[in-house]
Amino acid sequence: MSQKQSSMPWWSPRELSAGQGIRCVLGPLSLQLFRSADAWRVWTSREEWDEAQPAQARMTDLDAMPADEAAERFVFNQSPARVCLRPMLADRPVVVRARQSVFVPPGEEAMLYLSTPVWISIDLGDPARSLREIPVLPMSDTWFGPSTREGELCYAARTHARNHLEQVPRRPHRAITPVKVRNEASSLLPIDRLSLPVPLLSVYGDADSGLWTEEVHLTRAADSDLAGLRVVPGVPNMAPRAERLSGPRTEPGRGGLVRAFSDLFG
Amino acid sequence: MLDSILNYMASDQVMSVLRAVMFLLVGFILARFVSRLVQRMVLRRFTTHHAMIFRRLAFYLILGLFVASALRELGFSLGVLLGAAGVLSVAIGFASQTSASNLISGLFLIGEGPFGTGDVIKVGEITGEVLSVDLLSVKLRTFDNLFVRIPNETLIKSEVTTLTRFPIRRFDLQVGVAYKEDIERVRKVLMDVADRNTLCLDEPKPLFIFNGFGDSSLNIQFSVWAKRENFLDLRNSLQIEIKKAFDAEGIEIPFPHMTLYTGSVTDPFPVRMVGEQPSGDVSSDNGK
Repeated sequence: MSQKQSSMPWWSPRELSAGQGIRCVLGPLSLQLFRSADAWRVWTSREEWDEAQPAQARMTDLDAMPADEAAERFVFNQSPARVCLRPMLADRPVVVRARQSVFVPPGEEAMLYLSTPVWISIDLGDPARSLREIPVLPMSDTWFGPSTREGELCYAARTHARNHLEQVPRRPHRAITPVKVRNEASSLLPIDRLSLPVPLLSVYGDADSGLWTEEVHLTRAADSDLAGLRVVPGVPNMAPRAERLSGPRTEPGRGGLVRAFSDLFG
Repeated sequence: MLDSILNYMASDQVMSVLRAVMFLLVGFILARFVSRLVQRMVLRRFTTHHAMIFRRLAFYLILGLFVASALRELGFSLGVLLGAAGVLSVAIGFASQTSASNLISGLFLIGEGPFGTGDVIKVGEITGEVLSVDLLSVKLRTFDNLFVRIPNETLIKSEVTTLTRFPIRRFDLQVGVAYKEDIERVRKVLMDVADRNTLCLDEPKPLFIFNGFGDSSLNIQFSVWAKRENFLDLRNSLQIEIKKAFDAEGIEIPFPHMTLYTGSVTDPFPVRMVGEQPSGDVSSDNGK
């Protein structure tokens, strides 16, 4: 049974009978779920994590309840058998900071691959009901806006902003967003920090190539502080066989203009 | 006897009293009805607070008109009454100076709107959540759950800090390190701590200010930003983490210390041995 399960990606649904559980280690997060006849128990723990180290997703079956007392208990009349760990994107935009400075010359466009850590929603039953959402990797808060009075609270993440797909490391707990940046202004566009509107994106999963989001096009217009944002609907070209796992958290506002580039900051 | 009573009942005086009472009753009911209507209409465009004020205004205006009519029915001449009121108002004005000043301050305060219901403000020594902004006073709930009424005049005159106006806040940590420490290393340790703390905002960047050479320490201000709601958590977690990081790195936070000087440039303090202790121990104690 475990053989069969290990070939499945970590986000695929599983059926558990009462008295069984699963343990899921996903990068820094380790999550244990155990089903009893009238309750589900959830244990979460995290270890110190360096994002440079390779991450793995490991699913193992539990036949006995973990002894640790510090569990969260979700009670039911009769506990549902089906459980699914569904990847979601963060609930605020993620500001990614490039480890090396990246510049886009005037009139050029470039494709960058940015990855952001996902959240896990523990879905039980059929139709699925979400018990709770857990960020795999807690991200630091950051502020993105022209001043300390206006702006938006975001999450901060670091990235290599790789521009070749084959260089992008496959990490099971991060979703890759292909971002096409186009500079239509007459000056150089430095991308030290880029705000990625992940609440507008969906998550797609592919058993071989991992998690993806839709492709995002950011266009810096000639005379504007804001960037034009376009989310290309559907599966990204790089993972044509991926299936949609969860939808966007919020609908995009009208106009599709966002503050996306950091050189506009202060 | 009965006839005279009946005659009296039907007389103009009684009828006018009845009419006056009718005026008052109708006025009261109408004022309540209209004021509620006004409140409902105003609520669509303004805050609850403004709606309440408009409601009261409408209520007393309508009631006042009907009271004036009732008085006229009773045979009072309004001109004389108003004249008397003029004299009276001077007297009342002097007597109710404080209330009047609070009232006017309240109007300005509501117009200016430096804070609203639900905001957290700091006035003098008092910090609390605003429960209501009224014409005479502002009511606060402090964080130790006390109800505080502050007269509007005080608020207009004094400095009021609204803590919940902007979404992010800065925490300024004052810390001193020993003179032997390398400032650059201290700076790096502090920045690493801020970087690891998830509540600490990445941007605006933490600020490191070297405040100068203190009496016993090198004084440093380390300012970090946090989401307003996380301010207290950040303050706690950051200071604990900084202490841990300093301990791990061997960076000393010195106590205030004082060097005694006997007056002559060269002569040391005379040290006299007490008891039978070996001399080596005493000298090492003195070294500390």
